[in-house]
Amino acid sequence: MKTLLDALRSRATWRWLGTGALLLMLSPCADAAMLQEAVDLPNRWGPNPSASDYGWRYDELFTLITILISVSFAIMLILLVLPMIRDRARAGHKASFDHGSSLFDKRFTATVSVIVFIVLDAWVLVIAVRDLREGYWNIPTELEGAYRVEVLAQQWSWNFRATGLDGEFGTADDVITINDLTVPQDRPVVFNLTSKDVIHSLYVPDMRMKRDANPGAVNQAWFQPITAGDFAILCAELCGFAHYQMGAQLHVLSPEDFGAWEQDASMIAVAGFDPEDTEAQWAWDWKE
Amino acid sequence: MSHDGIHPEPTSFWRKHVFSVDHKVIAKQFLWFGLVWLLIGGMMAMMIRWQLANPGEPFPVLGALLFPSTGGVIQPDTYNVLFTMHGTIMIFLGLTPVLIGCFGNYCIPMLIGARDMIVPLLNMLSFWTLMLGGAVGFYSLLVPLGASEAGWTGYPTLSTTVGAPGSGETLWALAVFLIGASSIMGGINYITTIVRLRAPGMTWSRLPLTIWGMFFTAILNVLFLPVIGSAMILLVLDRAFGTQFYVPATMIDGGGGDPILYQHLFWIFGHPEVYILILPAWGFISDFLSFFARKPAFGYRVTVGAMLAVTVLSAVVYGHHMFTTGLSPMLGESFMLLTMIISVPGEILFFNWLHTIWRGSLRLTTPMLFSLGTVFVFGLGGLTGLYLATISTDIFLHDTYFVVGHFHLTMAASSLFGAFAAIYFWMPKMFGRMLDERLGKLHFWATFIPLTIVFCVMFWSGYAGMPRRYYDHTYLEYLRDLQHLNVLTSAAAFLLGAAQLIFAFNFIRSRWWGAKAPTNPWEVGTLDMAVPSPVPYYNFETIPTVVTGPHEFSNPAIPDGKDWIFQTEPLADRAAAPTDPSAQPAASH
Repeated sequence: MKTLLDALRSRATWRWLGTGALLLMLSPCADAAMLQEAVDLPNRWGPNPSASDYGWRYDELFTLITILISVSFAIMLILLVLPMIRDRARAGHKASFDHGSSLFDKRFTATVSVIVFIVLDAWVLVIAVRDLREGYWNIPTELEGAYRVEVLAQQWSWNFRATGLDGEFGTADDVITINDLTVPQDRPVVFNLTSKDVIHSLYVPDMRMKRDANPGAVNQAWFQPITAGDFAILCAELCGFAHYQMGAQLHVLSPEDFGAWEQDASMIAVAGFDPEDTEAQWAWDWKE
Repeated sequence: MSHDGIHPEPTSFWRKHVFSVDHKVIAKQFLWFGLVWLLIGGMMAMMIRWQLANPGEPFPVLGALLFPSTGGVIQPDTYNVLFTMHGTIMIFLGLTPVLIGCFGNYCIPMLIGARDMIVPLLNMLSFWTLMLGGAVGFYSLLVPLGASEAGWTGYPTLSTTVGAPGSGETLWALAVFLIGASSIMGGINYITTIVRLRAPGMTWSRLPLTIWGMFFTAILNVLFLPVIGSAMILLVLDRAFGTQFYVPATMIDGGGGDPILYQHLFWIFGHPEVYILILPAWGFISDFLSFFARKPAFGYRVTVGAMLAVTVLSAVVYGHHMFTTGLSPMLGESFMLLTMIISVPGEILFFNWLHTIWRGSLRLTTPMLFSLGTVFVFGLGGLTGLYLATISTDIFLHDTYFVVGHFHLTMAASSLFGAFAAIYFWMPKMFGRMLDERLGKLHFWATFIPLTIVFCVMFWSGYAGMPRRYYDHTYLEYLRDLQHLNVLTSAAAFLLGAAQLIFAFNFIRSRWWGAKAPTNPWEVGTLDMAVPSPVPYYNFETIPTVVTGPHEFSNPAIPDGKDWIFQTEPLADRAAAPTDPSAQPAASH
């Protein structure tokens, strides 16, 4: 018993125990690193390049904010760390005495706050409002050649409906797809979003777009693809058990390819139309 | 000797230690309660990080005990329960009891010179209501059909019977309601005590900033906890009594309700809640930075004004949580502007903190390290808020790990650091024992470094587009090449978790076997530092008369060559150096 107590008191025991605990904590990371190698994927460190007409607005503003806050944080860090080194308590060192309550101090604080507000916040605010009005919230109408898509989200898949060739929702040639959406390049794609059950959120990272699909209401969103190719659609709002599986594919086709595809898809839709299948008749009147 | 205004000291064990009305005992109850829940919530975070780094691998050791049916593997529904309860527990059962329950109860009477809270019985009721809330919350984990798994935000219709059929969600809502009721009782008590029971001479401008932080927090508690309470009651009615406040007409059996109503109610509470948690921490560190820099708190009145401004503005910025919900553009722009305006008082607090330590004489004790750490993590978290306040960048970043990193730094890490600073600082007075300083400093660095890594890598994940609340980021092809970020975050998170064992060891050991605390271990002049450690039952032999502000450090007018003075002691030449900090000339630079 006494030996045990002595061992517990000794520093070496604790050093060994500490090292052991540390290794135990880190071992899962080694596992994970091996798993990572097994998957053998190149690591990605940022978003894919923007593929939408307004995506540059996000990219540029993100960069600007990053520069602004990095400079601010660096200044803060200097003012935080410098006193920790220079003004450390030691023999013969005395703190200065200053309540900082003089009129000068108050004016100084006020001036710096106003400058920081203008440089950090107001600048970004002005750009953001411009971007929103010209980009994200500037939802085009059909007259400008928009491609319209109705999105009905459900646990756990995305139902998409396009008008087909006749330009009307709720007709026999509506192109209805699940977890797979085809849109034209260089035309605005406008969404009407709602949900059958719980709240979902249509997230198209490469287009820099996200919008909630709420049950009981129709939300709008849009983007204009500028690059042809395949892109990911994710669900960004927790929607239950299989939230993490609720992905979809977005195919952006060049105008020529898209014309051919739409023709085919409409024909197939008409051929497969079943008026008895009420489940498939979920279209609503387009909400501008 | 008679001690006016205090209930007689109880003699029975139950009255003394369990159903006590003494604010110091209640503070300790809140502390133990909060620490135990922080441990449980922290363990849940470890499981979450394990699953994200090693999807589908059994959680070591504990996994087999907790999830025997799967051999320790965390299933998607269990995972949803874990992050839901991690959030709920950390906020309502961990941080709130430690920050507000414990230190509100301990500090308010001690620092304003009172013998107890104004309504001690209500104080006890507040703790036992929280206990009941905690019990209901814990029980919700055990019921059939599963615990709450709709996220700590509990958005309908996922949290109605449409998305969550089990009774766990109902119990979760009831638990939040009960916890809210407890906070309201505490808040009323705190406000009234601060207004009514200040010792003679303890003017508003002589209050320690800790009390100001607690005062504003209590006001927010009383104003906004009723809102979450009503949201939860509507949810319970929807779930158990067939109403349809949150169920829209378009759904099967739908009524005329609206799920967005809940989001408004939730965030009208939810955004002030961030400040409810951070204001006490701001109060602590505003004091501690001054105490350990041996310099007066810079711009006392401006600091108080900034806290007041944050308190007022916190009620009108909540819409920034709903930028992708479908707010009208006009509302969106308004909330964006208001959110940016609330950053101004935040900036002012930073100036004052940085100014306080400038040309001080810094004693880098553990509470001081945690205070400086708070400034660092809150700076990082606050600045990254700019991305999320800006709608056009928030559209991409909303509901990604960027948000997770941001709110953990601002609301979780900052307030946790504030709580640690307070525990290290007041432990000697509460328990009469010192916490070990060497282990304390080790705890700080072993917490601070991994914590910064965890949340900075989360920023990176969010920037790359990784959505939050995903069970497995390797399932969808788009996210598979981001898995290395998850592994990195988890590695740092395990170290962060392990570092808390240092604290647990230090706390337990020091509580019973630590060095006996001297009366004034930190050489500061607040009222509690003039009474013995641990504080006697009646707090003050006679109610003190306050003549000096709390931050007169290094004042040349202090007699005896000390650099601090008790709030009850006059400065040597009161005519030359008035004690009211606001009237202090900026002389003697």
